[in-house]
Amino acid sequence: MSEVTVGTQLPTIEQRATLTTSVMYAGASGDMNPLHYDEGFAADVSPTGGIIAHGMFSMGLASRVLTGFVDGPEDVLEIQVRFTRPWPLGTTSTFGGKVSAIEDGVATVELHGTNESGDRILRGKGRVRV
Amino acid sequence: MALNRDKVGTSYPPYTYEVAREKIREYATALGETDPRYFSDGDDCVAPPTFAACFTLTKGGEAAFADPELGTHTTLVHGSQRYAFGDRPMRPGDTLVCTPRIADISDRGSNEFLVIEVDCRFADTDELACRSEATIVFLGSAERDGQEGAA
Repeated sequence: MSEVTVGTQLPTIEQRATLTTSVMYAGASGDMNPLHYDEGFAADVSPTGGIIAHGMFSMGLASRVLTGFVDGPEDVLEIQVRFTRPWPLGTTSTFGGKVSAIEDGVATVELHGTNESGDRILRGKGRVRV
Repeated sequence: MALNRDKVGTSYPPYTYEVAREKIREYATALGETDPRYFSDGDDCVAPPTFAACFTLTKGGEAAFADPELGTHTTLVHGSQRYAFGDRPMRPGDTLVCTPRIADISDRGSNEFLVIEVDCRFADTDELACRSEATIVFLGSAERDGQEGAA
């Protein structure tokens, strides 16, 4: 890894949410809430009126930003996120992060997920060994 | 009906979870992961950090949601999530002992915030694998001025 300083931007990940990504995440994680794949159910209960991606799918992608930046999962000490907006299927979100502090070989990274309009769907923080 | 604040601090019986290679592979595939260790047949296979979602959310919340004294309802969203990890990564064959606990209940406006903590330890050494803190937002059920919430 190249030298890490406060302000270092982590490489971003772009992801489109689709019925396929949603069904795969539901099966993999065991979160079978139909809000994430059943149109009829989502029409009744979704904040957007349509199917939205799992919050944990977006957290998983934010986590990928961290593990891709360091040497892998062993270097991730902590990750925390707030799900600030729903992520509707058919839209693309971009996940990234920026180093905000470094102390005793541990970097704090401010994490974000941003939708196509530039609004945050996720905000969070990670602590990684660097 | 509002959540019962007397339940803060309540621990539920531990459950076990066995980490499996194919499950790690399936989870990593769903996230579009590319680290070859997530897909390895060898001893270097390791789970990505949020693999913990597989055993801390649905399973971790089961006991709390089944507790009639807590008074959960189904108008809810996942508000936030935190994972803190120990020094040892999770690998295929590891058995984890997971203990859920009601860490906090609070309200803001008409919404209530339930924090479910799940402490997950390796069965063989009792070392921390991860600690999960899920904040579930129950919409509209907070009591205001002694009245029931609007929803």
